Amino acid sequence: MSAQPLEVLIVEDEVLLATELEYLLQELGCHTVGMAMNSEEAVAMAEALNPDLALVDVHLEDGPTGVDAARRIKADCGGVVLFMTANVKRLPEDFAGACGVIGKPYSEHGVKTAITFLGACLREGSAPGLPPVGLQLSPAYAARWGLGDLARAG
Amino acid sequence: MQDLTESQRAGDPPPAQVDLEALVAERTRDLTKALEQKTALLHEVDHRVKNNLQLISSLLLLQNRRVTDPAVKASLRGILERVSAIATVHRRLFQSDDVERFDVSAFVRDLVSDMMGTSGREDIRVRLDLERVDVAAAKAAPLALVISELFSNALRHAFPPGHGGEIFVGISRDDTEFRIEIADNGVGLAQPTTASGFGLTIVQLLCQQLKARNETSSADPGVRVVIHLPVNGAH
Repeated sequence: MSAQPLEVLIVEDEVLLATELEYLLQELGCHTVGMAMNSEEAVAMAEALNPDLALVDVHLEDGPTGVDAARRIKADCGGVVLFMTANVKRLPEDFAGACGVIGKPYSEHGVKTAITFLGACLREGSAPGLPPVGLQLSPAYAARWGLGDLARAG
Repeated sequence: MQDLTESQRAGDPPPAQVDLEALVAERTRDLTKALEQKTALLHEVDHRVKNNLQLISSLLLLQNRRVTDPAVKASLRGILERVSAIATVHRRLFQSDDVERFDVSAFVRDLVSDMMGTSGREDIRVRLDLERVDVAAAKAAPLALVISELFSNALRHAFPPGHGGEIFVGISRDDTEFRIEIADNGVGLAQPTTASGFGLTIVQLLCQQLKARNETSSADPGVRVVIHLPVNGAH
């Protein structure tokens, strides 16, 4: 991986999921800067810690507030958000400004390849290839990373 | 319909008809609301199933990080693989527009990508020849488990370290049955280890449940397993 480890914020109200995710990120050479369980914590931590990537579940401790939290993390802190949710179909069409989504239940390998892919996109400003199985990019980010044709194809 | 139009043209509809129309409108409202509630409930249950499967996977992964005994690790990995196969089924089922049917080939693509990625065996190639085949949702989980066990078996036993090769997965159908083939060109049928013994027991039991036939033969070199699944009900 790159010299600078990717700094990641985990926004997830299931502590066991968040803990396992932290181990997994560590194996990938990423640095988990914090874990938030509700939307207020999430936005406050994003502002204070300025992570490269925020992994955000839609259902949090304070309800289905992940979408709103994602919008605020993007708008207020300029952070890149990746949704991790069982409710892929319920996300707004613009992904609330997020770069994409991983559907739950995800596999260990699915998350690893997705994070590695996003790390490369963030570093290079363009995609190293097609997104791996399990990762769906938002149309806006697909276009930004040079996969605009993919976004149009659907 | 015609009567109604004509009587309206003739003047005010009779009181009985007004009552009936109001009744129909009310009933439609009630049914629409009931359907909305049922749909919301289905989404809620789907959400819970997926989250619980994720939770089970996380528990197994966390425990796997703690234990050091290779035999225990192998057991946990085996269970994790089976849970992952079921999880993939649920993710796929509710991704499609039709929750009654299950696309077996799409599942196989996901499964193979996951299992090959997890194995880290770059010396093993996978060749797929997948026809689009849909089965009833009720058969999705048992069939997924059968495929997962057979693929996992090939991956773990056909190719000892330093001995690469190819695993083939083929899915096709004719008028009466689906044919699912998993073949490798590895070291062939040896005496099964206890770990693969349990996997094969799962395959036997679930084939019985699915009313499917399975044939294991030598592929010269390697092993070929073919599952014959009846298209509708009994074999």
